[in-house]
Amino acid sequence: MAVDSTGVLAARAKGALRSPVTFSVVAGLVIGALFLVGTGADPLAAYGAVVTGSLGGDGIGATLTTGTSVLGLALALAIPLRAGLINLGGDGQLVLGGIAAAVTGLYSPLPAPLTVVLALLAGTAAGAAYAALAALCENRFGVPLLVSSLLLSYPATSFASYLVRHPLKEPGSSLPQTRRLPEGVALPAFGTSTVTAGLVLVLLAAAAYWFADRRTAVGYEIRMTGLNPRFAAYAGVERKGLTLRLMAVSGGLAGLVGSIGVLSFPYRFLDGSLTAPGYTWTGLTAALLAAAAPLGTVLAAFFFAVLQVGGLSMERTTEVPRELTQVLQAIVIVFLAARLRFPRPRRTRGEDRDPGAPEPPTPGSAVPGSAAQREAV
Amino acid sequence: MTRRPSDPPAADARAAEAGAADGAPAAVAGLPPAVELRGITKRFPGTLANDAVHLTVRRGEIHALMGENGAGKSTLMSVLYGMERPDAGSILIDGREVSFGSPGAAMAAGLGMVHQSFKLFDSLTVAENVVYRAEPRRFGLVDRAAARRRVRGLAAEHGLAVDPDARVGDLPVGLRQRVEILKLLHRGARTLILDEPTAVLTPAEADALFTVLRSLTARGRTVILVTHKLREVLEASDNVTVLRDGRVVARLRTADTSGAGIAAAMTGRDVELDRVHPAGTPGEVVLDVEGLSTAGVHDVRLSVRAGEIVGVAGVAGNGQSELVEALAGLRPVTAGRVALRGGDITRASATERRAKGLAYVPEDRHAVGTAPAASVADNLAMGHHRTALSSRRGLLPPSAVRAHARELVGRFGVKAATPDVPASSLSGGNLQKLLLGRELAHGAPLLLVEQPTRGVDIGAVQAIHDELIAYRDAGHAVLLVSAELSEIRGLADRILVMYEGRVTAAYDRPDADETALGLAMAGGAPAPAPGTPDTPAPDGD
Ligand SMILES: Nc1ncnc2c1ncn2[C@@H]1O[C@H](COP(=O)(O)OP(=O)(O)OP(=O)(O)O)[C@@H](O)[C@H]1O
Ligand SMILES: [Mg+2]
Repeated sequence: MAVDSTGVLAARAKGALRSPVTFSVVAGLVIGALFLVGTGADPLAAYGAVVTGSLGGDGIGATLTTGTSVLGLALALAIPLRAGLINLGGDGQLVLGGIAAAVTGLYSPLPAPLTVVLALLAGTAAGAAYAALAALCENRFGVPLLVSSLLLSYPATSFASYLVRHPLKEPGSSLPQTRRLPEGVALPAFGTSTVTAGLVLVLLAAAAYWFADRRTAVGYEIRMTGLNPRFAAYAGVERKGLTLRLMAVSGGLAGLVGSIGVLSFPYRFLDGSLTAPGYTWTGLTAALLAAAAPLGTVLAAFFFAVLQVGGLSMERTTEVPRELTQVLQAIVIVFLAARLRFPRPRRTRGEDRDPGAPEPPTPGSAVPGSAAQREAV
Repeated sequence: MTRRPSDPPAADARAAEAGAADGAPAAVAGLPPAVELRGITKRFPGTLANDAVHLTVRRGEIHALMGENGAGKSTLMSVLYGMERPDAGSILIDGREVSFGSPGAAMAAGLGMVHQSFKLFDSLTVAENVVYRAEPRRFGLVDRAAARRRVRGLAAEHGLAVDPDARVGDLPVGLRQRVEILKLLHRGARTLILDEPTAVLTPAEADALFTVLRSLTARGRTVILVTHKLREVLEASDNVTVLRDGRVVARLRTADTSGAGIAAAMTGRDVELDRVHPAGTPGEVVLDVEGLSTAGVHDVRLSVRAGEIVGVAGVAGNGQSELVEALAGLRPVTAGRVALRGGDITRASATERRAKGLAYVPEDRHAVGTAPAASVADNLAMGHHRTALSSRRGLLPPSAVRAHARELVGRFGVKAATPDVPASSLSGGNLQKLLLGRELAHGAPLLLVEQPTRGVDIGAVQAIHDELIAYRDAGHAVLLVSAELSEIRGLADRILVMYEGRVTAAYDRPDADETALGLAMAGGAPAPAPGTPDTPAPDGD
């Protein structure tokens, strides 16, 4: 018995270690360390600076603020990804959400607290509607979602850019930005920090996603569509409807993140401030790393927020430029992509380069891997 | 027991002397066995797939490996072919102990395996596929002329006629399989492993395959054949090894045994082969199809009544799959009308059809019928997740999903360690039981079922047939598409034959003898339609 249970444990541990996720993260960290050694820096000191800079007393606030946006977008991208759909239009949806929230915040006649709620709703609705448009392009005209969502993103960011340079521009300012929102039109913050109720909203969204994924019929349909779309279609899951709804939710979350960004410091829409930090890309990375699993997405988003914030402080305290953390992020993704494509390292061989028909799952193909992927972390 | 075949291949007289005692090590004097597995043990989490298996395959024989679904046949072949590492045991090729880290190593030692799903490039020619990764070269470039000559030579030598310049994508399955075999011969395989090679072949293609295999063994090559079809084993093999629950339970000389004997060894009980079930008592019409056309199907008229099984016979690729897909709502109908229980469903979606009372067991289990990466429980929940398993608010409690899975796994005898293992870890036959169980559990008035027993073991075939008959007797309508004539004749109350997208003949069961059906399937003169008003006329009026 003891032998058996240790055997099972060992198998589990082996599975976790051989899972593409662990592998990619560890590989990223090791290669990053080699880079550092190569440039004559001390990898331990650099990584130490990342950790203390992001999780220490001075950094944790920034990490949670960044984490709010990264997690929001990671969820926005994970939810359609769970069904195998990729929304590449996060930037456009994010910016439209931000501009909608800014306009609502500036012109709403309602009392401040209600205006905040209204601005959040407006931002969410704007993002949702815009993402739904991308879904309609696929459903109606056959434009692949990947393409339609990405292409629609550019006019949206340009439109927002135009608005804050001309009609909505703050009079007298040299920056392309709107006026500051009226006093009180802001998300409540925790103490004196920059962390706002936005974090709570995003965490609630993550909890809702977890619940829907594990315990609802629609979550089940989404998972099955992601694992085998033909199977889902055969059983009567309506793909077009699902695409539309998933994209609306996805865009809605991106829009929500945009409105959270406007309703917290600097309390206005500043052109580029939502897209420049690259939350969309980081969020997509996190979602991919977690194979869109809810808990995994939260952890991965947090991991990348730590890297992003810690990278800044590493640059301050050591000589290492913060681009290192972006390199790390890229390495993780490259490895992950490679590992997902060739899931069986021991069995990588000529015959596996599958020509023609899709290879049927051989018994035992990446059983631990796929389980780990599904439950990711 | 001597395992000398009754009819030793002429070209391999030396090998015949090697008739060594069972399980004995390689004969010192004579020729050692082509393949010898000693004490192979392979354990998966929760399953002992191979338990100290001994297998001796003599050079020049066709050795059949049989056993129920999940008995461990494919696992044993994966171990032999270097795809899985055994936990214990050793492998001897021509008497020398070997250890393969990869199929490449196994190939280098003269083994070759034809997988059930072919691994060919559809867009390349036969010759290009055959020489892929072992190309004849001239000045460092691939020598196409030499490749073509090589294929012609191999084809002529072994009676594997196939045009080297044909595009593989344009070939029927039987010929693609030849390309696979040519590929192995080109690389010098002396022992060929075929895992359920005839599951996708028509009877004529299967016969041709066995002719080829016999000519190969006559030239001293060796064949290991994994199959569920007794007829093939009896006709083609020299010796049979039977596995049950991962252990060898019998080593038989084919000449000394019978189908019933092998079946009994496989299942541990008596199995009634090719049973013909009593006829049903048809009620009102459940499915009514008028002049249905879709890509590959022309003007089909048919009806299925409650309490009746209508069988669709035909050589694969004559429109049967397209017909069923159109009925299931997965393929647009270009003309005609489909009514389910009196309501028009011609334009209804797959979802609406299911809601109106249709269940469907598709032909392709891996690509359509299941999500292999999902757990057994999740696979069993599909279609039930909106009805029986979920509450009105759309909640789907995991406990309900697992309980449902445990019930179906028990009821249909699916061998799965737990409901949480991925469906991809099930053996082929067990996956089919899962799929069939899930669809039968709907209790839908109409069941569409394609190839219900493809790749399923003898005992399970019987169980599945019993389930289908019970389903019919409970007053449901069943439309059965099968490439197995014996299955159609044993189950169906009426039989339609499809040829080139049309229903060309219809028979009541008593009139459907094998010759008439075979002729109609080959496109021969359609037999006159029996007089029942409900049966479609053979000619499209
Ligand atoms: N990778 C795996 N992980 C866990 N269990 C496995 C794995 N591969 C096979 N098994 C189990 O091992 C047993 C033997 O499987 P195997 O595929 O060898 O059966 P088989 O004799 O080929 O059956 P079939 O006739 O249905 O093809 C089955 O119980 C199967 O579920
Ligand atoms: Mg098998």
